[in-house]
Amino acid sequence: MASVPEGAHIALGGFAIARNVIAVAHELIRQNKRNLTVSQGVAGLDTDLLVGAGLVKRLIIGGGSLDRFGPVHCINRARETNSLAFEDWTSLSICFRYLAGALGLSFIPIKSLIASEVLERLQQGGAANEVTGMKCPFSGEDYIAMTALTPDISFVHVQASDAEGNCRIDGPRWENEEQAKAARRLIVIAEEIVPTETIQREPERTIIPAHRVGAVIHQPYGAHPTAVFGRYDYDAAHLKLYVEYAKRADRIGDYIREYIRSTKDHADYLEKIGGAAQLRKLKADPALGY
Amino acid sequence: MEIRATEIMVAAGARELKDRETVVVGIGLPQVACFLAMSTHAPNLTPLLEIGVANMQPKDTPVGLADSRIFYRATCWSGFLDVMGMNLHRGVVDTGFLGALEVDRYGNINTTLSKEEGRVRYFNGSAGGNDVASLAKRVIVVMRHEKRKLPAAVAHLTSPGFVSGKSRAELSLRGNGPHRIITDKCVFGFDQTTRSAVLLSLHQDVSLEEVLANTGFPLEVRETPAITPLPTAEELRLLREDIDPKGVYLG
Repeated sequence: MASVPEGAHIALGGFAIARNVIAVAHELIRQNKRNLTVSQGVAGLDTDLLVGAGLVKRLIIGGGSLDRFGPVHCINRARETNSLAFEDWTSLSICFRYLAGALGLSFIPIKSLIASEVLERLQQGGAANEVTGMKCPFSGEDYIAMTALTPDISFVHVQASDAEGNCRIDGPRWENEEQAKAARRLIVIAEEIVPTETIQREPERTIIPAHRVGAVIHQPYGAHPTAVFGRYDYDAAHLKLYVEYAKRADRIGDYIREYIRSTKDHADYLEKIGGAAQLRKLKADPALGY
Repeated sequence: MEIRATEIMVAAGARELKDRETVVVGIGLPQVACFLAMSTHAPNLTPLLEIGVANMQPKDTPVGLADSRIFYRATCWSGFLDVMGMNLHRGVVDTGFLGALEVDRYGNINTTLSKEEGRVRYFNGSAGGNDVASLAKRVIVVMRHEKRKLPAAVAHLTSPGFVSGKSRAELSLRGNGPHRIITDKCVFGFDQTTRSAVLLSLHQDVSLEEVLANTGFPLEVRETPAITPLPTAEELRLLREDIDPKGVYLG
């Protein structure tokens, strides 16, 4: 994480309480990387932590949720107090903007956003230069044109990668492929490092090939307390505990101190939340995937 | 056990879905209604989840769209670009089935913020909601019936219905817009000329006065509204024993 410059645009690969890049968010907080721009389809715990720690200056998201555990309290509070620049898009528009970035297009048209206050606010706010109405040059049909999103660094948590960075993502993958390939640099966090022969036996399962990957970090349970399909379930007790802290502006700092800043690394954090005994309880049943 | 209002809602929702339709469903009551339809008259319906899932058959109740429980036994795992891009945006999704914080007379949906006594509180935002409402051929909303949740105009227009009473063609939106609002008191449809919500049916033991008193927008009532059909014994058994036995969504 030392290679992440202050003020960088980072894209995070989590969705609500699934495959969040928690180990990354924690380390950015330990290293106090400030003034970040963060983009994400549907923000989850990873982004809520970064906002709660005061490291984010601009947020570009389609939505945010911790599913039934609650809303993204830190993000919502930051909006209510206007303490960061906020761009509120939709899941598909964020995905299309990453797709444009991944294809090397400077813009992309879409048929969502039209006639909504989502669009109105984007045009009036900090995204005025990123979105505008346009007509198809052939049919004359109305579209909304959006600029490409090209993050400085994308982080994606995957189930398995080989040492070179050939990655498998099991289960649904929301906007991960577009987000990964739109970035100038991609850092993958893998639950497991598998031999390249394993990748070669079923290369159709490779979602991101190694030549696009800048670095691979092997971090088992790197998404805890969020879920990684086929590996472990979300930690309901810890998510409930987090929400108790996060919903109060005067308590979130306590969570960050206790579980992040006072732990030296992710292994230390995993000890803190109950260690191997707790992680065993979360282990997925291979037949179910959770 | 008495029939719960939620059971009437999901049965009404299920009846709106036809066999062989492609449906993008939200978590909660929309998903319960969709599974009920699939267990009864619509076995060949294709449910899609915006995260990139087709034909899931969960056996345990999920806590949300990101819970691995919801995409158990699916036939396809992909992503936003497939489900929302190459299905919704492509125009092949028959029904978008959503929940909402607020809905107004033109079927505009708010899932972003509430304004109470001048204080703004933020919620989840659009996520796929705006995309579904913009692009599905028709949209069904299920929600709790409260005056403040059915205002004359939504506090934030997250997802478009018939904005300002305009047609979808005038708005230049591809989907045909709102089709039904199903609450725990009644079912609303939309007038084809005014594009405003009209009362279609009242649930059992709900009076017209009760609906009028708890609806924040002016409501057109032309004739004596029908009574929403109750769920059948078989539908109740499916809901209580198979689809949501713990009452996570129906309770």
